[in-house]
Amino acid sequence: MNILGISCFYHDAAACLVRDGNLIAAAEEERFTRKKHDSSFPINAVKYCLKEANLSINDIDYICFYEKPFLKFERLLYQHIQMFPYSLPTFIKSLPAWINEKLRVPKIIRKKLKYRGNVIFVDHHMAHAASSFLVSPFEEAAILTVDGVGEWTTTALGVGKGNDIVLLKDIRFPHSLGLLYSAITAYLGFSVNNSEYKVMGLSPYGDMNPKTNKYYAKLKEAIDVKEDGSYQFDMSYFVYHYKASMPSKRLCRLLDGPIRKAEAELTQRHKDIAAALQLVLEEVMTKMLNHLYSLTKMDNVVLAGGVALNSVYNGKILRNTSFKNIWIQPNATDGGTSIGAAYYCYNTILGNERNFVFNSPYLGPSYSDQEIKFYLEQNKIKYTAFKNDTELIKTTAKLIYDNHVVGWFQDRMEWGPRALGARSILSNPCNREMQEILNQKVKHREKFRPFAPVVCEDDALEYFECDKPIPEPTDYMLMVYPVKKQFRAKIPAVTHVDGSGRLQTIRKKQNPMYYSLIKEFGKLSGMPILINTSFNIRGEPIVCTPHDAYKCMMGTGIDYLVMGKYLMRREDNPQHMWDSEKIAKD
Amino acid sequence: MALKIFYIGLKDGFKEFGESVNKVVNAFLLSVTYLFGVGAVSLIARLQKRKLLDLKTSKSKETYYQGLMLSKKSKKEYYRQF
Repeated sequence: MNILGISCFYHDAAACLVRDGNLIAAAEEERFTRKKHDSSFPINAVKYCLKEANLSINDIDYICFYEKPFLKFERLLYQHIQMFPYSLPTFIKSLPAWINEKLRVPKIIRKKLKYRGNVIFVDHHMAHAASSFLVSPFEEAAILTVDGVGEWTTTALGVGKGNDIVLLKDIRFPHSLGLLYSAITAYLGFSVNNSEYKVMGLSPYGDMNPKTNKYYAKLKEAIDVKEDGSYQFDMSYFVYHYKASMPSKRLCRLLDGPIRKAEAELTQRHKDIAAALQLVLEEVMTKMLNHLYSLTKMDNVVLAGGVALNSVYNGKILRNTSFKNIWIQPNATDGGTSIGAAYYCYNTILGNERNFVFNSPYLGPSYSDQEIKFYLEQNKIKYTAFKNDTELIKTTAKLIYDNHVVGWFQDRMEWGPRALGARSILSNPCNREMQEILNQKVKHREKFRPFAPVVCEDDALEYFECDKPIPEPTDYMLMVYPVKKQFRAKIPAVTHVDGSGRLQTIRKKQNPMYYSLIKEFGKLSGMPILINTSFNIRGEPIVCTPHDAYKCMMGTGIDYLVMGKYLMRREDNPQHMWDSEKIAKD
Repeated sequence: MALKIFYIGLKDGFKEFGESVNKVVNAFLLSVTYLFGVGAVSLIARLQKRKLLDLKTSKSKETYYQGLMLSKKSKKEYYRQF
């Protein structure tokens, strides 16, 4: 049985293909169209999934969509009715998209894919819950989904047992922890549905003590949190329920100033506001999880939704709650609901046994050495070929040790927003200057943002204060843990201002070449840890094809590119093709 | 060549003009719909004191959770968009 899962028309469109319960392929549309967070119908991702599985659209038994569009439209109409006449501009702006595509999903699927089979619709938060629970290693688990908004639900508490999921309670729009985070992200001058993780990265620069951070108390005026973690906002502080913007003038007054302009200086006030937001989020999440534990008395918990990408909080869950095990799917945001819709159909609606556990994020396109060589030859690119994997690993480790910035392009592309060793930029974490070098040469990103370390799973406990045993989401860069004090000075480029690191652990069976590279670097430097940052420049999606990777190297200051078994040096090739600094954006 | 460039420019110009007209007509029709459709329903809702969105906090409430109990439905329910 072949099932295609699709999510689109909001942000991060994606598709996945499930064959007889196995996840064969999954990819976001942005990687193909090169438009970050592309929300359009994922035609390229679908084509890739079919190609990977060697299927045609006629072989698909079900196409599963990640939400109920009419219920979402109902919510939208309720917003306009309630907020009349203030919502006129958003009504005019948003309605054409609803009429043209969002209310015509079955027709669009049939037209774009020439598909005549079954199309089913799964409730948005059910798709989130399924995206995490049904592919988790747990037979039963408590479930928490927290995102911006689905149809009506913004937060759901539930339980999964075997093939079944029950969402017990929810909190509904306009009250949304995800939208609160987005509203403050907008207030701080960053882009919504994109830069929330920057606010998370900014928070340790602020006052993380709730007793002394005055903005914590101020934010609590806008949000009422009960002991069971349920919450509701005073909506006079927000305008997102009837406007395209998010914070209201009253919120600006509450936070002592106007909305920060993008690229304006970040003051201590901004940092304290980011810290206060993180404190509020952590307080609400902890209360909700404790309440969920009291309802379910289960040891396992799975999380989904955009808020589940808050790795700073994720790393505290097992310490702050009674749960013993945690699992989060690497693409916890809307893109991941394509997986949830497909598995909900396969396991729950159709009743097939659960026979798949998610254990590898490498679900995207790959390019053989022959394909890469063909590309290099066709474009007259100068390269050298490694004789074998040992030479590749030794040479690359030495290049990194010598403080070169290396683009690493190997095998299948990662699923989800993080680069996990298939489309990564790697460099030396022991060099204090490396953060500055990477920012200048490649990423052009804000100085306050830390770079992430990658470490082999069997070395992680030596260098980081992780939960024991190390939770699997750490493999997907979803948990932040403190770097052990004695090593902070040795890996300054990946140690954040609060001494933490958003580490990725790598297991040998997941990615043997990447694992061996880190070990080899450890032999040279004494620290088996690398800087791993996504292979892209600010404002662009992570690279997908050899052309994207080569273009990224030539447009930035990446020194070397290791693509398949080939090595390219930037200096050897014409460097006038692109100027990444000119196109870098938020 | 010059004729070709002129033709392409003309075609793009007409397309842009068409899109601008489309936007104006859309905005006009949607404004009318909003004023008389959404506006009328909103007025009725207000007269009936119906709140479609809960916009305030309530200290007296013990919890803000709402019962959902969403679980597996019959298969035909999933073919619906609602």
